Amino acid sequence: MAVKIEVGAGGVPHNQILIYGLVGSLILIYLTYLNSATNTEYFAFFGGLASVAALVWGADTIKHLCSYGLGTGVPSAGMIALGSGVIAALFGAMTGIFAPIVAIIVAAIIGAVSGLLANHVVRMDIPVMIISLTELAVVGAITVLGLIAMVGGTFDFQNLFGGGSVSLGLVIGSGVIALIFMLAAIAIQHAFNACLGPDEKQDRTLMLAAECGFLSMIPIAVISFAFIAFIPALISLVISIVGWLYTYMRYIELSKRDAYAWLDAKPILEPKGGA
Amino acid sequence: MSALGGPAQTAGFQPPTGMGIAVSIILIIVALALAFFLIQMAGLLALVGIVIGGVLIGFGVHFVPVGGAPAAMGQAPGIATGVAMLAAGAGLAGLFGGAWAAPLGFPLALAGGAIGGGLLMAITCTMVNVIYIFGMGIPSASGKVDKDPITGDTFPEFKSQGTEGHGLPFISWVGGVIGGALGGLGGTLIYLELLEVYQAQVLVSASIAVSLAGVFAIGMFLMNAVLAAYNITGTIEGPHDPKFKRFPRAIIASATASAVAGIFAIALFEVLMVFIESNLMGAL
Repeated sequence: MAVKIEVGAGGVPHNQILIYGLVGSLILIYLTYLNSATNTEYFAFFGGLASVAALVWGADTIKHLCSYGLGTGVPSAGMIALGSGVIAALFGAMTGIFAPIVAIIVAAIIGAVSGLLANHVVRMDIPVMIISLTELAVVGAITVLGLIAMVGGTFDFQNLFGGGSVSLGLVIGSGVIALIFMLAAIAIQHAFNACLGPDEKQDRTLMLAAECGFLSMIPIAVISFAFIAFIPALISLVISIVGWLYTYMRYIELSKRDAYAWLDAKPILEPKGGA
Repeated sequence: MSALGGPAQTAGFQPPTGMGIAVSIILIIVALALAFFLIQMAGLLALVGIVIGGVLIGFGVHFVPVGGAPAAMGQAPGIATGVAMLAAGAGLAGLFGGAWAAPLGFPLALAGGAIGGGLLMAITCTMVNVIYIFGMGIPSASGKVDKDPITGDTFPEFKSQGTEGHGLPFISWVGGVIGGALGGLGGTLIYLELLEVYQAQVLVSASIAVSLAGVFAIGMFLMNAVLAAYNITGTIEGPHDPKFKRFPRAIIASATASAVAGIFAIALFEVLMVFIESNLMGAL
């Protein structure tokens, strides 16, 4: 039984969000390369910002895909996004400075194949399926790569085998990637899963996506204390918390705007002497 | 803008399109050829193992009784959550069991994975029924068949009006355990094949090989599980459900998706070597 999921009309066109998300996250993820260029780790937080940009784009893609009523729930779209994205991200990470671009290309291939299978073999016959799964796989790849760069200071896995960066070996070997995987998968699907319905508004959904992205950045920033120097990790943590507070307050504001009415709930005081 | 349409909800079985089958076969053959080209027979065998693992996952998902939101309200039989969550739970439990047993040899690791996944589903199904029967006060009744194929219990007199059945009949319980076992087996098989490929690399330390193989196995597991979920469009009662007959489509889809994802996982270190060599050449 397909549950009818409704989405609000209007807002920024999806293609515009796609371009901003893709270009923005690509630029942000390359800014972490300043770490290698200047031989510091202060720019690790750009990786997290890249994943936030990608997650906002991914939330809008999920909105488009799931408005067709998949019948499997919104989380399944987030799971397949990260499932194909993590393969592409790790494959791309082996190619040095080309990592983000290779990851995007590989993710697009895997996503397009999944979309083709979903439409032509499994027969979902949803018009936007192929393009949406391609976009989602790319979003998943960028998100994983961005958070890897944030926790380890670089996305260049070649150092790992040249005896250079010890920290990156620990990033993979300790299984932080599994945690990144789940944090990103929950962040990508939660926004639309929480906001869907007849009164869904694009700006509110995307604000929640950004909030989820910053929320995922906070644990990653905490973990990065173990892998990069103290001050850079502190910068990451402060930026994550500030970003989260700002987007959370904006989201509450937008929720109040869209709500019919709200009650600033206060605890009910017991009358003296009992009721 | 409201819901614009949706997947075809016809009860009949729509076969895959010709293009879908052709693309699947071409992709599988290309992936196998690439695997052979990259690391000869070992790569080919590893990819075959990964494809078999993916097919087991895709097939296993069809056994799991997924009820979704209606089940949470006691209006449909099954476990009250989506396929992705259930499959992830069973598959990861199986994967952990199998990975723990990996040093003990191939057969034992596979058995560990299957038992891990099956055990998780057995506990889940049992507790679901405890909550349904003792918590919500509803009997188990399937809406799709009149008689339980295993126990012979009849359902129509227990089924509430206006529902598609409720609770978790014995056949669904059995289906859940079989599905969990198959999923755990498939996930562990993918993990073991990748682990073998990575451990053959001289550059790679043990912890990195284990971690990479594990993450790739999780990724492929979820891809296959979601494609299978798309195949059953949401809810299924178990092996007695008419939707179960759709599984050939999911097998084709899982095999292709695993082959494509698997070739990237296998080629990982070959790509790395190419880049390291080109860097060295540049340095010289």
